[in-house]
Amino acid sequence: MSDIENKTILELRELRKSFRSADGAPMEVIRLRRFELGAGEQTALVGESGSGKSTLLNLISGILLPDAGEILIDGTDLTQLGEAARDRFRAAKIGYVFQSFNLLQGFTALENVLLGQMFGGSNGGTGRAVELLKKVGLEHRLDHKPRALSVGEQQRVAIARALVNAPPLVLADEPTGSLDSKNGAAVLELLQQICADGKHALLLVTHDPQVMGRFRKVVRLEELQ
Amino acid sequence: MNLVKIVSKNMRQRALATWLTGASVMLGVALVVAILLIKQGVQQRFEQGTLGYEMVVGAKGSPLQLVLNTVYNLDISPGNISWKLFEQLRDDKRVKLAVPFSVGDNYKGFRIVGTTDSFFKEFEFEPGRRPELAAGRVFNFSEAALKSAFREAEERAREREARERGEEFKPAAEPAAVERPFEAVVGSTVAEDTGLAVGQKFIAAHGVQPSAEAIEHTANPWTVVGILRPTHTAVDRAIYINLDSFYHIEGHELRAPGGQAKEEKPAAEEAKDTDPDPGQVSSIVLKLRSPITAFGLYREINDREDAQAAFPAAEIRKLFSIVGNIDRLLLAQAVLILVVAGVAIAVSIYNSMSERRREIAILRALGARRGTIFSIVLLEAVSICVLGAVAGLLCGHLVVGLANEALYKASGFVIPAFHIQPLEWYVLGVAVILGAVSGIGPAIGAYRTDVAKNLAPSS
Repeated sequence: MSDIENKTILELRELRKSFRSADGAPMEVIRLRRFELGAGEQTALVGESGSGKSTLLNLISGILLPDAGEILIDGTDLTQLGEAARDRFRAAKIGYVFQSFNLLQGFTALENVLLGQMFGGSNGGTGRAVELLKKVGLEHRLDHKPRALSVGEQQRVAIARALVNAPPLVLADEPTGSLDSKNGAAVLELLQQICADGKHALLLVTHDPQVMGRFRKVVRLEELQ
Repeated sequence: MNLVKIVSKNMRQRALATWLTGASVMLGVALVVAILLIKQGVQQRFEQGTLGYEMVVGAKGSPLQLVLNTVYNLDISPGNISWKLFEQLRDDKRVKLAVPFSVGDNYKGFRIVGTTDSFFKEFEFEPGRRPELAAGRVFNFSEAALKSAFREAEERAREREARERGEEFKPAAEPAAVERPFEAVVGSTVAEDTGLAVGQKFIAAHGVQPSAEAIEHTANPWTVVGILRPTHTAVDRAIYINLDSFYHIEGHELRAPGGQAKEEKPAAEEAKDTDPDPGQVSSIVLKLRSPITAFGLYREINDREDAQAAFPAAEIRKLFSIVGNIDRLLLAQAVLILVVAGVAIAVSIYNSMSERRREIAILRALGARRGTIFSIVLLEAVSICVLGAVAGLLCGHLVVGLANEALYKASGFVIPAFHIQPLEWYVLGVAVILGAVSGIGPAIGAYRTDVAKNLAPSS
């Protein structure tokens, strides 16, 4: 194994997160002892619906703060950062692929990717974004708005957006959940292929057995408790 | 990619709401600009219009009415003053120039003004600007002819009164044969609107306003001998005729100040008066040798029982101090429209917040800070206001520019429609503040958007 692969990109320690239920009582959603993800590693995180998989990704990306515990990404404890610093950190170090793509409808494919680049603080022009869109096979769709793209193409734009700042950690929340099996397989293959360059660790959340089957490492959320 | 591009995309994505709210701001600003332009333009033109008219003398009554009638050819004359007073003022050492005016007729609504040729040869309606001819020539004035016309007018008045009393009228003397050409010099607007050209004849109607019942002076058609160049003052809307021909017309009998026919004095009294009043005029415009002596002359005239003096500039200032309140009311209405536009922007952005929350959550997930989101929403509201305001400024100027032709025809002057006033920069400033105020509520809402909740897939 190379040095890169030995490096831990994501480390979660004693993580807890509760929400208040409708009657006001605290409801623990995340209770996690320890989890690690090495550089270049690809892991599928599996859990039942409502088991807190998306909440965990929101915690890892700094969108939510845990009630307790540490979230170390590339050596930085996210829980110790202020909100603005977390936002900057997320933009630069984390790529996020959503189940429902979450592209901005008023922006073209290229502009959606450039948005990710803008918040990541990169002013490298359109070169990297175009290169990524080519990589996902959308070089002929740069100026198309999401409505003019198929769902598979939309998810490929989302993958390009997630990778535009070359983040060491890529989070994917059910990325094939809104796609048919053919498109889903193609998108997943693409995501895994791009992340296989050793520069990106991929943590993918799913409850789809077919998706799980494509990962060498599958972790059940319940096992982490 | 930058914030401005994101804001521009947002605005285009909600194009209808953007247009409607921007249009409401545009309407408010256009109104403000139009009111400011019209108010300042009219005031400027009115004040400029008084520059050549240092002092106006006329019958007792409203000084504003006297000024409006003499300087702007508006309103009706407050009455007549004696020719003797004109002669006194003309010969007064303090007076540089005295120009008499008599009004009472119109042609197709354009006022006919009886005056002397000094109006064209010596009178400057603005410093350094005399009425200039575009075509033809001016008429020549003869005081002998005028006095003859006065006598004829007086004879006609006596004849009419004798008829009314049922008495036989015996003329005092046979009228002397005086050559009295009925010549007119017309203002540029009159020429343009009526098509009058040099050599053409026209028949005047009695009264300063057109009326279906007005008597037409068919026996005495005037011949146009000259057409004036545009002056952009009330001069453009008047027809100038020789003062003596004015008094030769039936119906222009001499009247004492106050509107009564000139009294026939008893023979004994008449005999005592070695210099009887030969006639009357509606008003006299004075140019003074020195402003220092102006107030003394003003007081002397106003001490008389039969005349008043007015400073046109002072009267116009008084008029605008009254009209100013109406301006403020109109401005307040326009400002209210702007406030309503601001509320419309806030409501429009609020209404779009439900669909925006997801977009905001996406941007936040991509790394946008709360402050950035706040700025985007605020910038959008400010942009709508500023774009609306800029469009409103252009629109306001354009509307006044388009209205100028009608205004010129109606009043004889134009408003400098494309002159940017310092106040307009304040209007832009107000638009920025309005945008900021209307956008701050939605921006706070955007700032507080729950990212995790709004990122969840919608089923």
